Amino acid sequence: MAEPRTLFDKIWRSHVVSRQDDGTCLLYIDMHLVHEVTSPQAFEGLRLADRALRRPDATIAVADHNVPTSDRSRGIDDPESRLQVETLERNVREFGVPYFAINDTRQGIVHIIGPEEGLSQPGMTIVCGDSHTATHGAMGALAFGIGTSEVEHVLATQTLIQAPAKNMKVAVNGTLGAGVSPKDVILAIIGKIGTAGGTGHVIEYVGSTFRQMSMEGRMTVCNMTIEGGARAGLVAPDEVTFAYVKGRPYAPKGGAWELALAYWKTLPSDPGAHYDKEAFLDAGAIAPHVTWGTSPQDVLPVTGRVPDPAGVEDPLKRAAMERSLQYMQLAPKTPLVEIPVERVFIGSCTNSRIEDLRAAAAIAKGRRVAEGVRALVVPGSGLVKRQAEEEGLDRIFLEAGFEWREPGCSNCMSMNNDRAEHGERVASTSNRNFEGRQGKNAKTHLMGPAMAAAAAVTGRITDVRELG
Amino acid sequence: MIAGRVWKFGDNINTDLILPGPYLYRSPEEQARAVFEANRPGWVDQVKKGDAIVAGFNFGMGSSRPAARSLKNCGVGFVFAETINGLFFRNSVNFGLLAFECPGVSRAFEEGDMAELSLEEWRVRNPRSGETLSVSRVPDELLSIMQGGGIFPLMEARGLIAPRA
Repeated sequence: MAEPRTLFDKIWRSHVVSRQDDGTCLLYIDMHLVHEVTSPQAFEGLRLADRALRRPDATIAVADHNVPTSDRSRGIDDPESRLQVETLERNVREFGVPYFAINDTRQGIVHIIGPEEGLSQPGMTIVCGDSHTATHGAMGALAFGIGTSEVEHVLATQTLIQAPAKNMKVAVNGTLGAGVSPKDVILAIIGKIGTAGGTGHVIEYVGSTFRQMSMEGRMTVCNMTIEGGARAGLVAPDEVTFAYVKGRPYAPKGGAWELALAYWKTLPSDPGAHYDKEAFLDAGAIAPHVTWGTSPQDVLPVTGRVPDPAGVEDPLKRAAMERSLQYMQLAPKTPLVEIPVERVFIGSCTNSRIEDLRAAAAIAKGRRVAEGVRALVVPGSGLVKRQAEEEGLDRIFLEAGFEWREPGCSNCMSMNNDRAEHGERVASTSNRNFEGRQGKNAKTHLMGPAMAAAAAVTGRITDVRELG
Repeated sequence: MIAGRVWKFGDNINTDLILPGPYLYRSPEEQARAVFEANRPGWVDQVKKGDAIVAGFNFGMGSSRPAARSLKNCGVGFVFAETINGLFFRNSVNFGLLAFECPGVSRAFEEGDMAELSLEEWRVRNPRSGETLSVSRVPDELLSIMQGGGIFPLMEARGLIAPRA
């Protein structure tokens, strides 16, 4: 009998074009997602070498980082952002890449629209010049970010040279408590394994918690796999996955659907498959989580207090914590729920799907954004925005004093004009709390969408379970 | 054997520190001037060609941006870290930055030490202490890309693609 294989092993092996003695493989890529930040040099490289795009039908482009999220009728004010988007538009025309233009309802964050359009499917290899490509692993695909240097290689050859990763299993079992979201699950995982915990591995998320989770929740979890050190994270495809994919514009149809479905059902890891590393969490013990520092592993349950460097023995780790707290301007032992916020960002490829917006709206409904707080809601795509408006979520947000914006990456890394000013403290549903990412000296606290909405209406970090 | 003077960094040094977001659309030269401007302002004026970075776990965590190119362009000869983030490592290979995992390295070197690397033996030595550590071996093909200056220079040198202007 054949050796039991993991989901990752199966996808990897079915895409190897050639393998060298040292283990390095040439890997076939099924879907290449392209955005304006990491593609210009790659297209320029093709042009200089007079090369064509290998598979226009397996490539799709969208502008997301540099698009304005308010009043698009005026175009893009910022010259650098405008040039970047115009360059992408010129490149997709010249090379024949399918493109969702800014005024297309399907435009949005690349990692939102891949699953939404049915472009991302189980068993695929999916890459994008963007580290949060890990999101698509929720489909049961091997999806990982590639360096800007690799984008050209994929455009030209539809392959990549890669060394295989090791397998890591993260098992979460049990039912999540009220007010606890998939974002809290991934923050708790990163808190446990650390941002270096998955280095060199592909993480498979297993256990009843993920089986009970919606596809959108799985996307939130897989999205932040990269923050746990691994390039890719995935969830085995199941009936939830198949029901999600079926009927989407780019999903297989008719006989092709039946063939695909039969294949997808062979993908889950075999019983007894080997994992090089394992971690276990109990879902029932996970509380809403919030970050206090400048790395996603600087995370605690919202009921906790800012840690005290004095209690850290390792001098390097103590110095790192002191530096983080100095940047965040937080005193040790401060209860997290006493930290005031000045800005709230609900959006990003982590948390801008319809379920995220519903969760935030449920808290916003009938309440008001606190005095002195500016709160942005940025849907992940035009289709998410339309759906939210059909459900009346936009009215709830607007009546509560939130800003209702056009889709894009927005204040997650602030390459458009959505930026925290004057070192503001931000409650954010995004994925990285690095220094200066949301604006110069901006102090980011990562959390889930309902938690961010709760912070908006109280003006401080709040345990959403207390708002009911 | 290649040798370089050591600059020490901690765990989880991220791509946004190496190549800050506001510089993403600037020239590679301007990007190289911005390396570590938030966490170690002035460092780019101190680092000399061929110097070594010694760091902790998960060096290069973060985004797809060409942060490895910036380190190479500001003169860094090689990077040793306890572990290196996978995406950053790929960029290191493709931009020709020598970046290696080396368990124990952050304890074995102090800032200002020399690091002597032997790729024949896959070892790095600290001449001050006399300590020698194993460097995790990189597959030959990837090493040849790194040493060839990166993926495109190597393919040009092998006549696989036309040289760029």
